[in-house]
Amino acid sequence: MAITYDDVKIGDTIPTYTSAPITRTHLVRYAGASGDFNPLHHDESFIKMIGMDNVIAHGMLIMGITGEAITSWIDQRNLRSFNARFLSMTEPADLNDMEHTTGRATITISGKIVKKYEENGEKRIKCDIVAKDALGSRKLAGFFIAALP
Amino acid sequence: MADRSKLGMEFPAYTMTVEESKIAEFAVAVGLKDDKAQIDPIYYDEEAAKKAGYQGIPVPPTFMTSFFFWTGEGLMGIVKALGIDLSKLLHSEEEYEYLGNIYAGDIITRKMKVVEMFERGKRDRIGRFVDVTVLETEIINQRGELVAKVRSTMMER
Repeated sequence: MAITYDDVKIGDTIPTYTSAPITRTHLVRYAGASGDFNPLHHDESFIKMIGMDNVIAHGMLIMGITGEAITSWIDQRNLRSFNARFLSMTEPADLNDMEHTTGRATITISGKIVKKYEENGEKRIKCDIVAKDALGSRKLAGFFIAALP
Repeated sequence: MADRSKLGMEFPAYTMTVEESKIAEFAVAVGLKDDKAQIDPIYYDEEAAKKAGYQGIPVPPTFMTSFFFWTGEGLMGIVKALGIDLSKLLHSEEEYEYLGNIYAGDIITRKMKVVEMFERGKRDRIGRFVDVTVLETEIINQRGELVAKVRSTMMER
């Protein structure tokens, strides 16, 4: 059943969405899918050259995962806007040390409805969203606006 | 640091076709899946998309950012045009306004403009000040309809 405007009220939370642990293979797959071949996301020699410790996930992959979280709750054609501010870097899990690195690479998206209003003849909601890793570090914060039936 | 004289610059308009297989590939990638059998069929099966109320196979909500990478020399084209140092580049914010739908087979034109360039923080605090560049892009389909606007904020550490 599609969520309707009357189903939700201000302060309601959207269903929490938790990703699989992000690996370097996921980063390579996202690079190929999106065309974002910044070496920051796959090339360890570039990482050393610029004085960092590890490759990091594309901010847009974290936003893409957030998009998945949203569209698993509402139909994507209801989306009117979607904003994300990137707050911290995400290092992928190390396959040879999953025990200590899964937490930093597992993303949980939560959201809370902050506004209900009518605009352009539509019933719209604004929902604040935040993505955190399993250690509690905030990865992105933003919002989406959706028109609901 | 980014070349401040580029403020207001409009990039050439680039056109590309939204390929059906690329939509499924993108949905698999953001779902952190291994195979398209694991994603919502609206992203690869036109029948399923139509049943769900779409006129064709839709693109995931953040797919539009890939238009920047698949046209005009991709990321390096943007970096070179603006004089940005790739080793210091970070993406700090992205915002989409959805004004219509984009479907597989659509022919999309992107029109991108540099709308803001400024410094944030103080130069005397080493490592704390950054150069910020804001790009705004209009996404227009083959019927001339403005289907989305994208606002991308980049910074150099």
